[in-house]
Amino acid sequence: MRLGIVRGSVVLSQAVPSLLGTRLVIVEPVTAGNLALKNGLGGGKALIAADRLGPAVGQMVGFVEGRTAANPFSPVDVPVDVYCALIVDQIDFQPPQTVGPADRKVRK
Amino acid sequence: MFLARIDGTLTSTTKHETLEGCRFLIGQRVDADGGATGDPLVLIDTLGAARGATVMVTTDNETLRVRVGKTTPARLVVVGLVDEPRTEKNSPQAPRRKSR
Repeated sequence: MRLGIVRGSVVLSQAVPSLLGTRLVIVEPVTAGNLALKNGLGGGKALIAADRLGPAVGQMVGFVEGRTAANPFSPVDVPVDVYCALIVDQIDFQPPQTVGPADRKVRK
Repeated sequence: MFLARIDGTLTSTTKHETLEGCRFLIGQRVDADGGATGDPLVLIDTLGAARGATVMVTTDNETLRVRVGKTTPARLVVVGLVDEPRTEKNSPQAPRRKSR
């Protein structure tokens, strides 16, 4: 599960039948640099996530990627590969000052 | 499976029902050279990993499906606490033979 910031939602005018009624949100993944700085920026490439929790725009969520993202819809088979699994209340992230390209990098 | 360094914790009230009661940690994947790489990850922990610890994480959803229910979407579970990761840099060298 990665962390992302909700930037909006998607409404489909037409969709495959199994997707009808599924709420879709636009999520911008948060990089390590931005999370450490607590600057409210994401930095990753935006994704569309299936959602049943209803986060507001600007809220941070945890999203699952891959085949297991469709598990909550079981036994219905849906073409979903990103699922919004939790809304973040509080986060405490303090990486050590040293090492690693991901620690230093702040992507925009 | 991969190694991750624990860099923080996370709390959440609104979440998928199968994740109720889970302990969430923020970790970063660790490279072969020991540096952190990639985006921060939300890990599910049952072993009580501490901040700064190196843990082994599985990406297999089966572990969690058995524990919390078949409809769970989450995959990343801490399945081990690493005593000491041994890479080329810090592995104890084999004692050299003395040539006579």
